[in-house]
Amino acid sequence: MSIVLDRITKRYGKQLVVDRISLEIAEGELFVLLGPSGSGKSTVLRIIAGLTLPDQGRVLLSGRDVTSLPPQRRGTGFVFQNYSIFRHMTVAQNIEFGLKIRKIRAAERRQKRESLLEMVGLAGLDNRLASQLSGGQQQRVALARALAYEPDVLLLDEPFGALDAKIRSQLRRSLREIQQKLHVTAILVTHDQEEAFELADRIGAVDRGRLVEAGSCQALYSQPRTLFTATFLGAGMVLVGRAEQGRAHFGPLSLPIPDPVPHEDGSRVQLLFRPEQVVLSQTKPAEDTLLVGKGTITEQSFRGGVQRVRLSLPRLPATRQIAPPVPFGEDSLLVDTVLPADHPTAGKELWVSLGGWHILEQPRSRLMVFDNGSGSIVHLQIARWLAERLSASVTLLGVAAEPGRSDVLSKAVKRRQEEAKLLDAELRVRSGDPAEQTAIELAETLYDLVIATRVPRRFFFHESRLDSLGAVLLKILEHTSAPVLVVKEQRAPLSRVLICTAAGEPGKNDVRVGGRLARRLGAEVTLLHVTNKSQDPSPLARTHLQQAIATLRGADMTGNMHFRQAATPSEGILAEAREGDYDVIVVGGHAPRTRSAFRLNDVTRQVLAGTGRPVLVVPQEF
Amino acid sequence: MSKSEKASSAASPRVRRSRGERVLIGAAVVYAAALLLGPLIAAVWGSLSEGLAAFVREITTRDAITALRLTVILAAAATAINTVFGLCIAWVLVRDKFQGRRIVNGLVDLPFAVSPVIAGLMLILLFGRGGWLTSITDSMGVKVVFATPGMLLATVFVTLPFVIREVMPVLEQIGTAQESAAYTLGASSWQAFWHVTLPSIRWGLLYGVSLTFARALGEFGALLVVSGGISGLTETSTLFIFRSLDDRNYVAAYATALVLAFLSFSVLILMEFFKSRR
Repeated sequence: MSIVLDRITKRYGKQLVVDRISLEIAEGELFVLLGPSGSGKSTVLRIIAGLTLPDQGRVLLSGRDVTSLPPQRRGTGFVFQNYSIFRHMTVAQNIEFGLKIRKIRAAERRQKRESLLEMVGLAGLDNRLASQLSGGQQQRVALARALAYEPDVLLLDEPFGALDAKIRSQLRRSLREIQQKLHVTAILVTHDQEEAFELADRIGAVDRGRLVEAGSCQALYSQPRTLFTATFLGAGMVLVGRAEQGRAHFGPLSLPIPDPVPHEDGSRVQLLFRPEQVVLSQTKPAEDTLLVGKGTITEQSFRGGVQRVRLSLPRLPATRQIAPPVPFGEDSLLVDTVLPADHPTAGKELWVSLGGWHILEQPRSRLMVFDNGSGSIVHLQIARWLAERLSASVTLLGVAAEPGRSDVLSKAVKRRQEEAKLLDAELRVRSGDPAEQTAIELAETLYDLVIATRVPRRFFFHESRLDSLGAVLLKILEHTSAPVLVVKEQRAPLSRVLICTAAGEPGKNDVRVGGRLARRLGAEVTLLHVTNKSQDPSPLARTHLQQAIATLRGADMTGNMHFRQAATPSEGILAEAREGDYDVIVVGGHAPRTRSAFRLNDVTRQVLAGTGRPVLVVPQEF
Repeated sequence: MSKSEKASSAASPRVRRSRGERVLIGAAVVYAAALLLGPLIAAVWGSLSEGLAAFVREITTRDAITALRLTVILAAAATAINTVFGLCIAWVLVRDKFQGRRIVNGLVDLPFAVSPVIAGLMLILLFGRGGWLTSITDSMGVKVVFATPGMLLATVFVTLPFVIREVMPVLEQIGTAQESAAYTLGASSWQAFWHVTLPSIRWGLLYGVSLTFARALGEFGALLVVSGGISGLTETSTLFIFRSLDDRNYVAAYATALVLAFLSFSVLILMEFFKSRR
């Protein structure tokens, strides 16, 4: 029996849990949905079983549309993670439950039950109370119970999640055997990549409600298309470099870009190599090897027959490392690999080269521009300029106060879009409360950068309190986990970036995000620290700025350090921006969903209110 | 399993306790005994003060027997009603996250917070002479106040929270996984409830039911207001006790009190017996 999912979408309130998932699973296949917890994979399973109704999309089992059928009439067997066994019943009653409901004769039930118990390895435990079984035994009973009435589809929701490692591996083996023996189509949901590799015919990687990629274990591990799959499945190093005439450049490495991964000249390229593709040698390898550099072993951990080691190498010029994440304040290149357990390691210097590698699909940045169809179009002009520099796609969002006004707004925004020559942008018009609808759009689509402008007066709640910060803007700043560029006046090119680390808290993310943007724009970076005490900055501040500079180097950027004395941090920042005539001020935001983040005395808010220059607000990591 | 537990506790060596602990245990026992056993002994003493014959005579008078019958019928009916509706309310409060859920959840405790006398007064306001709903009940030919329907309403009101408060935590604890499993196995909602949910919450439910019954037996304040206390007609045992005391018929009062207390205790002890057996 085959399973087909056709653009399944599910929301819980404002939260988009499943986002247009389409999938085809062949008869007899064991498909594993793999993703981090909270990625919506369990919801997909519940939708197939009919326990949850999708908002949009269809579910087909053997070509039959079952989208509106109740769970009782779908013929799916479901094994839950925990506590789903009927605890007040015996093992026999549990297994026979589905048969009894279907009014099957006692003799037949008994026969079926005995053969199933034999199959799951619990023969003879028929009369044991379910509550007297161990966790592993309970899950075996749950499996037998789900298989008793011979369902066409078996759905398993993290069935081994709550069990210890040894029992888990035993159960996996039994499950695989039984599934193949009965030739039942199965979907298993897990966050454990080892489990996925062990069981799956095919794996589907799920991230934030979206099916990112599907394919065989081998393909997903060695030739992933996306960064998410590359980093979620197995360990690996991911570097960002630059494309030039069909080749990808990562410092001294120049690799041919394979055909199915198109890249324009100058665009970003992501390189993946796995620990087992790293080749270490004591002597400098021959000329024709892909030499990365000479590194020192900084970490090692024992893993039985092998040991995991991490080497620290000098950073490659014009590259940035995404995985493993480089700690704040370091600018080295980190390479993980495995060595035989008896290999002496401590403090040793080794040559690192690549035995294999893979280039990921070109990631395209996404910009969102909020526009309400009137007022200045500076933010649209800056968006066009940025989109060209970053080769990013642009979504224009307009929110009409009521559904009837959508057409009028849509026309107005389109006219402004033409005026700003922002022709490739996709226009989305929503209706409702502007702040709320913007928050929903931001939750549903992952944007790399949001661009907004001063919002006209009629959107203000309490003008005196929010001054030039409109309610919509405030809401965007409160809700998004993407950086927000607030634009008030025309200002392009953006060639001088001021990153403020003044507010006491070291804004690590400000430095990373601001630095990255500056690099991609070819802009110059200054790091500012404001003190209110003496002329002399504290040693702590100095260390912090030095770390920030090192982190910038890791992003292939250089930066100047400035110290400044002022009564308040915001005064210092505003004065520095004026004197240095900076084009972008980078300040820290808040962690998403912390409501009290923007108070009147907030540095970020004061900077936003006190300058006409573009301000990039970077949310804290969460 | 309980057998082996008992055996192990018998075999285990004497537990060492600090002096403070011993004092605390002693205080708890003395306090509970004084508060609970004292009145019970007084009731026994009072009802037997004129001999066993007087006791038997007083509890078998026509008024005493009709009062006791009415009490048991009211308690049984109120328990039945609150079992069904209590289950429904508990279900809705746990499973459905609707707007105003917290308000309803708070309202459920109202009968605990409001004096039963006030509850009785509210019923009179609604159904008494010139009451807001009296014209409706009159047109239906039903007399509510100073009759059994009103007394039943009062008892139901007073005992409403017990089943809900006992069932809600259990329902919350078992979650929906077992029910969902039953659905995927082909069970209808009713089958899932009957075969899966109800057995899982049965102890909580039973506890709530016995508390409801025991409380209903002893209800006095609300009934005093709505019943009118017509002896042989709307007089329950508690009202009968009250009237007997007024009439200085102490043996009748104590004897009936003892019977009522015995009924309530038996329900609770039966409950404990079932609990220890699970």
